[in-house]
Amino acid sequence: METASQFEDVAHVRAALEGAGYICSPGVATVVFLAQATRKPILVEGPAGVGKTELAKAVARCLNRELIRLQCYEGLDEAKALYEWEYAKQLLYTQMVKEKIGDVVAGARSIAEAVDRIAAQEDAFFSERFIQPRPLLQAISAEHPVVLLIDEVDKSDPEFEAFLLEVLSDFQVSIPELGTRRALHIPFVVLTSNDSRDMSDALKRRCLHLYIDYPDRDLELKIVRLKLPLIGDRLAFQLVDAVRRIRALDLKKKPAISETLDWAQSLVALQVEELSLEVLRETLNVICKHRSDVQLVREKIEKGFSVAPGPLTAES
Amino acid sequence: MVPLLLRFVAGARAAGLRVSTSEVLDCLQHLGRIDPLEEAQFKSVLQANFAKSRREQAHFERLYRLFFHELRQDLSIARSPELAETIQSILQSLQPAAGTDPSTQALVDFLAGDPAGLLEHASARSGGAGSPRSVASAGGSSAGRRRELADRIRMLEEQLTEVLAGRRDELGWEERRDLSAHFQDRLNAARRLLAQSIENRPVSTERLRSFRHGVDELGEVHFASLTPREVEAMREAIAQLVRRLKDRISRRQTARRRGMLDVKKTLRRAAAYEGVPLEVFHRRRPPRKAKIVTLCDVSGSVWSAARFMLNMLYSLQGCFAQVRSFIFVAGVQEVSEIFKQHAVNAAIEKILKEADIDYNAATDYGRSLREFRQHYLDILNRQTTLIVIGDGRCNYTHPEERLLAQMRERCRRLIWLNPEARQFWYSGDSEMRVFEAVCDEVRPCQNLNQLLAFITALVL
Repeated sequence: METASQFEDVAHVRAALEGAGYICSPGVATVVFLAQATRKPILVEGPAGVGKTELAKAVARCLNRELIRLQCYEGLDEAKALYEWEYAKQLLYTQMVKEKIGDVVAGARSIAEAVDRIAAQEDAFFSERFIQPRPLLQAISAEHPVVLLIDEVDKSDPEFEAFLLEVLSDFQVSIPELGTRRALHIPFVVLTSNDSRDMSDALKRRCLHLYIDYPDRDLELKIVRLKLPLIGDRLAFQLVDAVRRIRALDLKKKPAISETLDWAQSLVALQVEELSLEVLRETLNVICKHRSDVQLVREKIEKGFSVAPGPLTAES
Repeated sequence: MVPLLLRFVAGARAAGLRVSTSEVLDCLQHLGRIDPLEEAQFKSVLQANFAKSRREQAHFERLYRLFFHELRQDLSIARSPELAETIQSILQSLQPAAGTDPSTQALVDFLAGDPAGLLEHASARSGGAGSPRSVASAGGSSAGRRRELADRIRMLEEQLTEVLAGRRDELGWEERRDLSAHFQDRLNAARRLLAQSIENRPVSTERLRSFRHGVDELGEVHFASLTPREVEAMREAIAQLVRRLKDRISRRQTARRRGMLDVKKTLRRAAAYEGVPLEVFHRRRPPRKAKIVTLCDVSGSVWSAARFMLNMLYSLQGCFAQVRSFIFVAGVQEVSEIFKQHAVNAAIEKILKEADIDYNAATDYGRSLREFRQHYLDILNRQTTLIVIGDGRCNYTHPEERLLAQMRERCRRLIWLNPEARQFWYSGDSEMRVFEAVCDEVRPCQNLNQLLAFITALVL
């Protein structure tokens, strides 16, 4: 796999991502290139399973950068995202240097002087040694440029979003005891969102917006072939067609690329050469994740929803 | 490149896309880094900068296609630079004719290459949400405005022919032919624009753009007078509102859930720090959730309000311990199962079609209450909020309000929602006065705003 430290142009992005096992549309490549060139974060939206997280991973792979991931959830706060002091370690050190404290204070004429002397030692306890960096601080203080993936940012609370905004606009963090840390290298930031709530306008304004939709037929076929080189041509065609037709139904959760790949893998594992209605009915659970969806597709099959044994080039 | 982009931005803003200045600056900077002649790249740069949410995508697509593919005024003007001046002067001579009429003015601007005004005109929402001037000029209805614009286009066409004929002495016939072809192109483009805005008026984006505004407007419409299309819009609005409400509820609940100090857990953790309680833990109180029982009159006008309330209640199901619903006309039937098995909207359709209820019977509150007491009284307990939706019109049968009083005794509170305006409550066969005495709360529930206020009060 070819790795580069920088993307040169859009075509280069596309080729590099493909080399890293991620096939994308020109739109995606353009946005990735711009994000890298202008050092802006990307906000990726789209249905679950179309490869939002995978995009960040692929970028990290092909730029040969470390990937730092921050998974958002309700109740996530600065302590878990930025840094924490290691109380236990501090306490342990205090215990071990207890006698030393006696030495420091020895000979002090007044309490005030003793306090001053101890205060002079404070830095020993609030220093790099006792700080536990969490993903955001890790990304900012990294020696080498990194890719920072902030996953499912829509799950976090609005307060955290405001805090994130501050970090993303300056790429600096102030730790009261240590002072301000500025990023040595601006990280490549990818935020992903499943659209479960609207992000604030301020955050959107700072980001490049990328909407990844279900891929078109050729792209999906290419992805299947890349991920599963063993799959037969005929099966791959039928598979992608069938998924596309199922996607067109009114389902609760439409099958995304990840489901297509899972399905393809199962079919290869089952050594299926050709997709028949029989096979579809039996392996439906791989692509439809809701009971009612499975039922709906079954009903459609009963009613003559032609899915597989059509000609190679299906009408679509 | 800069003027072109600025024109697009102006047009996009006029058509309701929100684009900030910083985004325009970013976009220009980005365009410098890619190959703007390759359309896929050019488009995705614009898209990444201007369409920043899923809902704006479709709107952006449409504007993009319109601006860069169908209008393309620059090309036609650039093709004939020597004609540009003449075009300007002809348009100048049209100015007095345009006068103060904004739609003609917009059309003249459009001929001059500035589509912003026309886009604004074409996409102004029906019902007077657009600028006040467009309301004044077109009497408010969007169909009327479109017809008016079409008239203006025809008038302008005639005027242009006249002007061109009048300048026969100054201009050669070839020039005149080119000019007339040019204007014809532009006017046809204007017509297409108009036709398209009929085809796919971006209801959703348009409404969501100024979401508050849209709800205010839709929020005051009486449930019974909604058109099918407005019902669709209403569902979308409700889905949005429900989402916001859920956000608020979950925030409230996390704040409220912090309970007493958890001594055991704090001490256990303190052991790791030599008995110093460095980390303090609190118990979490489970959120208190209400049980909801709804009793809906499904006769005629009441049903239109009831369906929206059921829609909202079931969308917020997670915020309640349990929701059970019953419908009645003359006799009660439970429909909770249908809601359990189907999505909200499908369930509502199903109830209308399949529920074992005679929709044409005369409403009989007395009988319905009797049946309810007989079969379901035991589901009411101290955690239950009973919501009745009905107009209280008993067709002169006995209202049996003492049964309702008995039910009231067993539950936490009893709320009556009435989809009629308050001034009609006590007239004719309405027994609202009798029922009102029994209820904890009586609210009018005629439109979305009232319903929303009620639901918010219920869950928070």
